Amino acid sequence: MYGGGNTFEGVKTDSVAKEDLVKLAEFEARIARGEKIEPADWMPELYRKQLIRMIEQHGHSEIIGALPEGTWITRAPGFKRKMALMAKVQDEVGHAQLLYSAAETLGKSREQMIDDLITGKSKYSNIFNYPTFTWADCCFISWLVDAGAIVNQLANAKGSYGPYCRALERICAEESFHLKYGHHCVIYLAAGTTKQRQMFQEALNRWWPPMMHFFGPSDKISTHTEVLMRWKVKMGTNDEMRNQFLDMYVPKIRELGFTIPDPNLKKNTTTNKWEYTEPDWEEFKRVINGGGPCNKERLEVRRIAEERGKWVREALKSSTTAYVTPLA
Amino acid sequence: MDSLDPRVLRLPKVGEPGVVQPKVALDQFGSFEVFVQPREGKPFQHEGIVHSPNIELAYVLAKETFTRRFTCTSLYVVETRNVFVSPLTDGNRNVYDLIAAVPASGEKEDYEVYHLQKRGKQHVHVGSVKAGGLEEAMSMAKLAFNAGGIYNVWTIRHSDIRFTKPEELDLWTTLPEKRFRDAADYKGGDKLKNFLEKRKML
Repeated sequence: MYGGGNTFEGVKTDSVAKEDLVKLAEFEARIARGEKIEPADWMPELYRKQLIRMIEQHGHSEIIGALPEGTWITRAPGFKRKMALMAKVQDEVGHAQLLYSAAETLGKSREQMIDDLITGKSKYSNIFNYPTFTWADCCFISWLVDAGAIVNQLANAKGSYGPYCRALERICAEESFHLKYGHHCVIYLAAGTTKQRQMFQEALNRWWPPMMHFFGPSDKISTHTEVLMRWKVKMGTNDEMRNQFLDMYVPKIRELGFTIPDPNLKKNTTTNKWEYTEPDWEEFKRVINGGGPCNKERLEVRRIAEERGKWVREALKSSTTAYVTPLA
Repeated sequence: MDSLDPRVLRLPKVGEPGVVQPKVALDQFGSFEVFVQPREGKPFQHEGIVHSPNIELAYVLAKETFTRRFTCTSLYVVETRNVFVSPLTDGNRNVYDLIAAVPASGEKEDYEVYHLQKRGKQHVHVGSVKAGGLEEAMSMAKLAFNAGGIYNVWTIRHSDIRFTKPEELDLWTTLPEKRFRDAADYKGGDKLKNFLEKRKML
């Protein structure tokens, strides 16, 4: 799973002007022909930098995203749900491995990525800074946060960087299980007792605002985003992704008889776009910058895991292998 | 707010929040390339990498990372540094045009050869050659497998690869029992239909 709305670094587009123009033209022609870029290819610095940032954020989101769900494994209702949730959490952590590997092909080491996560230098999807109070919160993540992630990931899988696309293909295949599982859980709550229905309705009320934040604020099409879209790093605007998600899932949520906590949410039939109460972007910014209810805790859990695993890594370490940047 | 995470509440604390201990070299281990055979009779293809302290553990980690579902019939791993890589071409440029003949030398061994036939796809195993070294293997591959339209070639010495042993082929036989990993095991259709009908009647 993964939150979109990537915050792209404010690198000056001028850096592109410093590139070798012949190589840059070849690079752009290759993308225009629909050929993927591979690690050994020449690429502009801005392309490399933004891709590392995006893939790394994606990897971190998988790791951190596994935490709010992971805490529910022991309390999931019944053996079957426990098995499924364990498999899902294992998938998410596995996805992080694939993504870190893809980012490594661009020249950033895994050690550095892990450090940057723990110190707060690198970001991850904002939505995982909220707590999972009840089993229904966990079901909301499994169904709807994963659904949002799939919208993003399917778009990114059509991007220009070979190793990232290949990782996403594997990931999307596994996400189909997450989505079906999540929907299954919510159907059971919906068809259950009044208390179960109420539990999911409350989860929906809690998670809807972060879900709207999930795709990021409306992006103005600056020269910067225009370049990234031409290079197929960014595959669509945040609003396009959000609209696609609402198209697919608002009817499914309403079908189950739940009320989405936004009286202004409706589809404009002339523009074919969803209208909604503008999400609170001040809150979004505050949470991204560390002010959310669980930011500290999430990073602490990751840091403690790192510290506790140290002796294992040291015991296993062997000088007979060497680290070489992965090939593809 | 108080944590809802048992790992925070119940386990002993270590270190300082937000402070990262400096990492020793190779903290995340060496890198290994993973190849899988998607179906019986299909060629092996490159699937990704794992970090591991040795090749045996790399094999186990590769199995866990890449074959949790019905994704392969066999797999093998090799250290990244043992893969010999040709230049990368694009457009209509065939990479074999850039590979010069290397005079035969030394004792002959088996080398495995992989092609990148389409940019964005995986490297696929095309066959093996006998040669006295990695570079010679690539020039032998040019004689044996140059069908044109190839962007990148890898050669790997056969003896550097950790293959799946015949007695390990049953590693994947329990997969069909793990239905809880499978999207098809979560059919909510009937439950949903009944529920919707009941709602209509209310």
